Amino acid sequence: MKQQLTLSIVGSGGDGAVAAGDILSMACARQGLHIIKTEAYGPQIRGGESSCTVRMSSSPIYAQADAIDALVVFSWADFARFRNELVIGPEAVVLHDSDDPAPDEIASHPGRKIVGIPFAKLAKEVGAPNGKNILSLGVVSAVFGLPADAIRNALKNRFKKKTAAVVEANLKAFEAGLTAGAALSVGDQRLQYTPGTPMLLMAGNEASAVGAVDAGCRFFAGYPITPSSEILHFMSEWLPRIGGTCLQTEDELAAIGAVVGGSFAGVKSMTSTSGPGLSLMSEMLGLSAMAEIPAVVVNVQRGGPSTGLPTKSEQSDLMHAVYGGHGDMPRAVIAPVDVEDSYHATVEAFNIAEEFQMPVIVLTDQSIAQRRETLAADSLVHEVVDRRIATPEELNEYRRYRLTATGVSPMAIPGMPGGMYQTNGLEHDEQGRPSSMFVMHEKMNAKRYSKLDALAKKYRLFRRYGPEKADLGIICYGSSMGPVREALDQLAAEGLRVAAFVPRLIMPLPAADLEKFISDCDQILVLELTYAAQLYQYLRAQVDLPRGKTHKFSRSGGRSLGINEVIEQVKRVLVPSHQVEEVLA
Amino acid sequence: MTTDVVYTPNTYKNDLKPVWCPGCGDFGVLNSLYRALADLKCEPHDTVIVSGIGCSSRLPGYVETFGFNTLHGRAIPIATGVKLTAPALKVIVVGGDGDGLAIGGNHFLHAARRNADISFIMMDNEIYGLTKGQAAPTTPVGDKTKSTIYGNPEAAVDPCALAISFGASWVGRSFSGDVKGSTELMKRAIDHRGFAFLNMISPCVTWRGDDQHKQIRARLRPLPADHDASSRETAMRLTNEGGPITVGVLYENKQPTLVDEMLEVRWKAQGEKQPPTKADILQQYMPTF
Repeated sequence: MKQQLTLSIVGSGGDGAVAAGDILSMACARQGLHIIKTEAYGPQIRGGESSCTVRMSSSPIYAQADAIDALVVFSWADFARFRNELVIGPEAVVLHDSDDPAPDEIASHPGRKIVGIPFAKLAKEVGAPNGKNILSLGVVSAVFGLPADAIRNALKNRFKKKTAAVVEANLKAFEAGLTAGAALSVGDQRLQYTPGTPMLLMAGNEASAVGAVDAGCRFFAGYPITPSSEILHFMSEWLPRIGGTCLQTEDELAAIGAVVGGSFAGVKSMTSTSGPGLSLMSEMLGLSAMAEIPAVVVNVQRGGPSTGLPTKSEQSDLMHAVYGGHGDMPRAVIAPVDVEDSYHATVEAFNIAEEFQMPVIVLTDQSIAQRRETLAADSLVHEVVDRRIATPEELNEYRRYRLTATGVSPMAIPGMPGGMYQTNGLEHDEQGRPSSMFVMHEKMNAKRYSKLDALAKKYRLFRRYGPEKADLGIICYGSSMGPVREALDQLAAEGLRVAAFVPRLIMPLPAADLEKFISDCDQILVLELTYAAQLYQYLRAQVDLPRGKTHKFSRSGGRSLGINEVIEQVKRVLVPSHQVEEVLA
Repeated sequence: MTTDVVYTPNTYKNDLKPVWCPGCGDFGVLNSLYRALADLKCEPHDTVIVSGIGCSSRLPGYVETFGFNTLHGRAIPIATGVKLTAPALKVIVVGGDGDGLAIGGNHFLHAARRNADISFIMMDNEIYGLTKGQAAPTTPVGDKTKSTIYGNPEAAVDPCALAISFGASWVGRSFSGDVKGSTELMKRAIDHRGFAFLNMISPCVTWRGDDQHKQIRARLRPLPADHDASSRETAMRLTNEGGPITVGVLYENKQPTLVDEMLEVRWKAQGEKQPPTKADILQQYMPTF
């Protein structure tokens, strides 16, 4: 029996590959199985090829598997479009439509079980001509021992708005698939699991949006951009229902402008975007820093520069997030490591923005933002910090930018009697009045930057995995955490002492903790998905990386970091005779 | 209590001295604004004046209300954010023609289209003053400026025509030298529900010549007594006539504002039902079948 299973379903738009994956994932989440589900599409707006990959496990998982154990293919021509992303495992079970035989290079593998099933024909026979995807779920359920009852219920739930006849036809297709699957002789392929408590199944973008709402965000302004638009969609649906407002603006300049306006007026406000939009927002983030107005931006990284790879993940906005913008501009950058953490990181972003009155960027990426993951139903809870509003005493001879020990000055809100002030993006004095004097500029820069010190003291956000002392310490962030964490377990089983440090707060870095980690490791490996090694360059500027003992692995995004890829890179450093396979095979 | 409070132009003045050149039209705009705010009895702490960047965008600093001198071109989105989150506030945008029509042109159009509840008082001097004399979208074709040494090769835009065609629900024009008339128009613009656009002709004596006041005065023309301000066609014809500068309320209508529409969205979303709890929101991600 298998401890875990990765299944891909591939077809053309209309084949229902993604719908089948959704139903299966919901059924597994209902049974308490751990799920990570990803989707991939061709460039067509509608139709075209689509694929859905579901990894299922009875124990926690943190990344997609390197190879798939089971494949359902409705059309090999569609599969060919994904051959860079979908690696078929050496012992995989491949189920394809009998009308479309498997190409030699796939079928010739001796360990694989290649099985033709007349998906379309069987579905037609039971009166469900559009139900070949559901029929394939029946086959998969029988072969891999996946919960048939839960799949039936998930199916009914999915089709609850359809007619009874449609539901009935699909259920028949599922049963026909179960029968066809039971008749196959492909050995024991069953996934081992004990049913547990139902889990939430959600994507990073959704978790970020829920986090924002929980943090008290009641104003969202945004402009559509892949791969962040789901946050706009969520806000459009839910904010009005809880007394908030969602505004779709004419561009990203207006989106971040409206956010700064809403926050100036006292309401927690947020926008979300991706690289091109973050570029446009840079100037306004400077105003947020200068006028000390809280602003939260969720930036979902995709391949860049320019339009780049809009639907694929990369970690190449890091430099822009930490350094982007003109002038000396303090900001905080926080990077979630998985779907659940997208919730916590977004609440923390609001907490930091509100407490320290500065812009905060949630630096996530497409792979976390758009994949669906199971999480414990009670895991989405986080403490909320509110803004330092001026008290009546402080409004006595009120100075909006009063110099204080922490750099944080009490904020008055329009509508507060006695709280009036005029502020601006010009350098200003304690009252907010424009000043172009060097002394004032120096004083105010110091005030604004001192908030970063206070912030760094209060928030030491990072994850650390592996032994206390290690032969190799990996430093990575964001979505790289998943494959690194899984690689660590495998490396430990092989007797290698490898640890990992994953900063969640990227700016300001938890420097003392990171330095301790570095000193606890003999060698360091910085690992990231950017061609230009942005994390490595950033760390070089921020902490002392040991010369001659620091290695880096950085490659373009567009394909997620593999668990084996991490293992290979670790062995490249720790096992001198180890031959590294060509990364971009 | 509020009936005891006396509002005079002085209520809104502070001790900051404007950076404007002697003879600048913006002084007239500022004086008209003090009077308009006083006449409308605008509570200073319930009033927010937002500007972009330019000579005229310095104005919020000189008015004792909440004020925000923001980025070049971005006053309107910021003001929209303020109004949507705090609808009880009076939100006024001030700025120049370069700010409002060039770098911020997109926001101007969309604020008009969505009838955002703000009044935009645009000081139009047909030039970039703060950066010392380059052509603006309002600079007449052929005019020599520092950036159009051989004469401006581009046609000028009529800001009022732009506002009307994009759906602004109140469009007027005034001359800053006429403080009395400007005060009245500002009062109507600020009182208007929805997006009100007031094109303030505000001469730049430094970069457009010191006879600007005289030249403009000679071209001013009041609206015909029988002007029908509810007609887009008439407004478009009168604003576009070339030589004469028509002042007054060119166009005015009543239509739902952005704040109204957002309240309508809330109603459609929730009606009289109790707001959803967190569990209700998470329900969609929970396999409870």
